[in-house]
Amino acid sequence: MSTTAAPVEWQTDVDAYAQALRELFSDDPAFDQWRGVHHATTEDRVRATATLLGHLYAGGWNRFGWPEAVGGLGGDARHRAALYDELSAAGLPVPDPCLLMETLANPLVHFEPGLAAEMLPRWLRGEEWWGQGFSEPEAGSDLASLRCRARLDGENYVVSGSKLWMSSGATATRMMCLVRTGTPESRHRGLTMILIDVDSPGLSVRPVALASGLNEVAEVFFDDVVVPADRVIGSHDGGWGVAMYLLQFERAMYAWLAACVALRRFYELRDRVMTNGGLPDGATRRLGECYTDLVSLRARSAETVRRLSAAEAVGPEASVDKILLATAEISLHDLARDLLGDHFLTGTDDGADEWRHDWWYSRSATILGGSSEVQRTILADHVLKLPKENA
Amino acid sequence: MSGLDLDTITEVTASVREVFAAGTGAAVLAKALDELGWTEVVEADPAIATTILFSEQGRALASSRLLDDVVLNQLGSVLPAASGSRAVLYPRTGATPGTVGILLGAVEDDTEIVSMAMDENGNASWCLRPASDFTTEAITGFDPTCGWSLARTSTAATAVAAAGTSWDDARAAGRLAITAEIIGVCASALELAVSHTSARHQYGRALASFQAVRHQLSESHAAIESARNTLAAAYAASPEHGGGAWAAKVAKVRAGQTQAIVMRRGIQVLGAMGLTLESEMHRYVTRAAALDALLGGHAELAVEIGTELLGGAAPARVVTI
Repeated sequence: MSTTAAPVEWQTDVDAYAQALRELFSDDPAFDQWRGVHHATTEDRVRATATLLGHLYAGGWNRFGWPEAVGGLGGDARHRAALYDELSAAGLPVPDPCLLMETLANPLVHFEPGLAAEMLPRWLRGEEWWGQGFSEPEAGSDLASLRCRARLDGENYVVSGSKLWMSSGATATRMMCLVRTGTPESRHRGLTMILIDVDSPGLSVRPVALASGLNEVAEVFFDDVVVPADRVIGSHDGGWGVAMYLLQFERAMYAWLAACVALRRFYELRDRVMTNGGLPDGATRRLGECYTDLVSLRARSAETVRRLSAAEAVGPEASVDKILLATAEISLHDLARDLLGDHFLTGTDDGADEWRHDWWYSRSATILGGSSEVQRTILADHVLKLPKENA
Repeated sequence: MSGLDLDTITEVTASVREVFAAGTGAAVLAKALDELGWTEVVEADPAIATTILFSEQGRALASSRLLDDVVLNQLGSVLPAASGSRAVLYPRTGATPGTVGILLGAVEDDTEIVSMAMDENGNASWCLRPASDFTTEAITGFDPTCGWSLARTSTAATAVAAAGTSWDDARAAGRLAITAEIIGVCASALELAVSHTSARHQYGRALASFQAVRHQLSESHAAIESARNTLAAAYAASPEHGGGAWAAKVAKVRAGQTQAIVMRRGIQVLGAMGLTLESEMHRYVTRAAALDALLGGHAELAVEIGTELLGGAAPARVVTI
């Protein structure tokens, strides 16, 4: 398909768009180069899957779901959700840059359409991707206590401090960071969201290896890094609002995207163990339960994605999506570990390696983006409206 | 998309809640639903109508033969036309289908009992017999107020129709309605747990201000929501997208798991009150258990799903965007 051939009806007909994707992935042999590929490092994986984005972009496919004004071809969150689902169903990876695109590009489009028009097309082509700088060594779940400071100096901000746990941090070229512009005591009121180029003088990146040995995250240091004031996303001291807007997408679309990938991995596990004799007691039931977890997660997150696409505000109830996601991820990877048994522990092939890496990464499901404890507290406070803990 | 708007759904839900609150003799229930214009609601959106009706039945811990209507509705083109009233004989795990089963409420002697029987080759067929062919005995074990009875017959029945896929369809429709009822039971039980722990103080604080309690209630909420979403997705899935029997089975597994979580947590946070006849909690616990078992419990159905998957099943995605 050439870019110009994309039917304009797809903007409103998600089913037709999804159907066309199914045909594309089954008919175009070019996609085989991204199927079943094992990457030795996270850096390799991110770069390799970014080239899949480039291939999709050349055909206009991943431009659906983004406004025309910022380089897209129209449509909404449902188009992006359909793309992730069809990629997964066709045995293809969801390109790594899509994870943070879902989280960061939405506030960019909403608050800074000018910057989005300039930068989003490059991201969609897989030429660049960004990191998200929220957590710090002293501020994880308690985000409002963060200390990385930005001081306004004429036309620029001067940023000093550090950020931790940045996904794709080792390869990202820009970072959207939540920084303190108010007093140290200002909590969520004195925060600003700002976009920082990684090649700025004074910025250094230290990749952090998970227990799998993969550099899934990074720590980033800012030593009086100068950032032009026009790189503020939203307004000065308005960062908390931007972060809350962003979290809707992070909780909802990330859950859907992860569920798509998890279902692909579930079938890969099933295919691998179904020919094994002597599965452990309870394996059949656990497979059925894990499958049910995944379908429930899809049902939940699809509903939330539909609400997002209808421009409904998704509030604290999105914590349910996050809890279900964490439950499904943990259940799938514990099942894989138990069913693969010795192969998981000692297997030397790429498949075993990948399950071990994924098992470690799955442990982050109850931690990143607001721990399971935080999600349960949000539901208790804002949905069930229970008496406050510190009342 | 629903054929009913949000305001209508809210209004209908409130009305149905009142109907169940007023008590549920079969005749009272039928009349009240009729006055509500229930037929029109069902026509506008059968999935939502069924979900509301059964969720409210669950909330109220009411018992009725409404499920029979759901099941029989699937058999309209399979069974001969009814001359009078009909009731469904539900299979009981471990019992020979057709000769022993569960009736969900009282029947008249001339009511036709619809049952599914299986021959030695595993071929299912539908049988019709008058209720007078059966002896019944009230079921009183774990849930003594369920209003169900165990019906037995020694009369041979002639098959009136091969069941074919109609058994799958009828059972799927029944499972979705039961899923909605379990959700209703769970929602009520969670409300009870929330109100008890918000009102009761220990160590100078409301119980629900302790994180250990709050998080258990949040987990119950998440479980109930996931069952709701799975149910809606199962109703929405067309057969080519894994809807029908497969999706209904998944939804019922989810509902069964949900009641296990909600009841375990509910009993715990009520302290010893949850174990007594003085609190309503035991009624939710036992009703949810009975409903979980009806047409297949969650453990059994999860094994069935796992077995099919290990056999190489490639089910469609059930949920699409």
